[in-house]
Amino acid sequence: MEEDSVLERHRSGAEPVVRLVNVTKRIGNRTIIDNLTFDVPPGEVFGFLGPNGSGKTTTIRMMVGLMRITSGEIYIAGRSIRTEFEAAVRQVGAIVENPEMYKFLTGYQNLVHYARMIPGIGKRRIDEVVELVGLSARIHDKVRTYSLGMRQRLGVAQAILHRPALLVLDEPTNGLDPAGIRELRDYLRHLAQHEGTTVFVSSHLLSEMELMCDRVAIIQQGRLIDVRPIRRDAEGTEKQEILFEVDRPDAASAALGGAVLRTESGGVVVSAGREEAADFNARLVAAGVRVYGIRTVTKSLEEQFLEVTGGGPVG
Amino acid sequence: MADFLNLVRNENMKIYRRVRTWIMLAITLMIPLFIAIGGLSLDDSPNMWFYSRVDIDVTSWLITTFAVVIAADIVAGEFSGGTIKLLLIRPWTRSKILLSKYIALLQFVLFFLASFFLFSLLVNALLLGADDGTSILPADGKWRNPFAWLAAVYGFNLIEIVVTVTMAFMISSVFRSGSLAIGLSIFMLLGGYMLSGILSLVDKPWVDYILFMNFGLAGYVNGMTPIEGRPIGFSLAVLAGYYVCFIALSWFVFNRRDVAS
Repeated sequence: MEEDSVLERHRSGAEPVVRLVNVTKRIGNRTIIDNLTFDVPPGEVFGFLGPNGSGKTTTIRMMVGLMRITSGEIYIAGRSIRTEFEAAVRQVGAIVENPEMYKFLTGYQNLVHYARMIPGIGKRRIDEVVELVGLSARIHDKVRTYSLGMRQRLGVAQAILHRPALLVLDEPTNGLDPAGIRELRDYLRHLAQHEGTTVFVSSHLLSEMELMCDRVAIIQQGRLIDVRPIRRDAEGTEKQEILFEVDRPDAASAALGGAVLRTESGGVVVSAGREEAADFNARLVAAGVRVYGIRTVTKSLEEQFLEVTGGGPVG
Repeated sequence: MADFLNLVRNENMKIYRRVRTWIMLAITLMIPLFIAIGGLSLDDSPNMWFYSRVDIDVTSWLITTFAVVIAADIVAGEFSGGTIKLLLIRPWTRSKILLSKYIALLQFVLFFLASFFLFSLLVNALLLGADDGTSILPADGKWRNPFAWLAAVYGFNLIEIVVTVTMAFMISSVFRSGSLAIGLSIFMLLGGYMLSGILSLVDKPWVDYILFMNFGLAGYVNGMTPIEGRPIGFSLAVLAGYYVCFIALSWFVFNRRDVAS
């Protein structure tokens, strides 16, 4: 469903919220970013994936005007970040790496600080955002006393204060505990689905991106390797690879016959639909094979990633 | 315009919500108290105007140093704290953000100096007794009003502090570490004073163009200029030249810099 609506937007030709055109960044002789071109349509959660040092942060800094673009152009909601900086960046909320706030101010004073920089954000909007990120109880304490999770929430608060069309997050899950990561992930999806906010999120954590994003762009050594949609299904009648963890793989293989794709140490992998898998389990139990676990073997983004990047430098 | 004033308000908030600002102010304001008490015990007939002049002559270096600390930290501190990233991704050009910082800095210098001026006068008037001040005015008769005379001393000090603070502001904009900028600025300040002491012995014309050689403008109320044989206009022109360079370099570097760290 979600995927369809994203595709719909692609087809309807809505103006992309982010458009990179032949973006290149050179520092000295080194080419950090090499000719990046891609679009992000409105309302999409777009993942920007690559190993450390591949140029994710540099690209994001160019998108928000913290770094100069050597050549090429970046448009935010149709405005050039170079020539119409103020209008373009008005549409952007960002957390660039760790949300670093003024520690000697309270959380509230920090938000007042950013609210003052954009016309039309009143006290009510600040309170609303504080409520939204769940910081009401501690908002009048000094940021110095906040835990990392609370700083992250304050970081989200300052980023969404002005209802940006585009939310940019650079490695937002760094240093968060699993609960915090989950919360952030749910929140980002909520923003994209219900408020129409486009989310551009970078990470080197493949598993994270898989759970969060509609599409991911994979970059390596400053080059765009691939842009691909994330599959979000796993239900239904479609046949999948299923791993049975058993005590005697050979006996299991014999019991299941032709359905077995391969035998691994500690288990067999079969191709089966949902109902079939249950039948196979019954057959294994009947044959006296002890079954310790059953799970689907989906090709994770990680594997796709390694497949695409080849695990090494790209020429 | 009202929007831009919001940026200045932000910068003010970041100056005055820090305890260190008030500690520096408190330390500075103690000095007139000590000097007045010393005057009471050592001097037979201490004069409030004379001691007010002593106060600023003795304390101007400290006021300068504290103002330099604020100036050096105001840009570089945002870099070392990492907050520069969130500050620069607002719909304001870098020039305007830098200008808001510079205006807040000048406001701070004015506030600091004005507080000291009023406090010093008040303390001396209360402890040493009010006086019409005519006895301490220079004999040449150019000054009739001791208040105007003292205000002129402060005015000349203000010029020097603004130039020095602008130098620190430039250093702040060039270096990305708050503590490095503070250290370097104070080093330049002290080094500059020492160097000018040594160079004043050198009899070469280029020496007169060194920034710190042209400090000591306040002596003009007593008919002296920073450099013997040069009119005060010369020193003011040299200071103005440096000032323009400091400002130009601050904006040039800040506008071009990639925020990478």
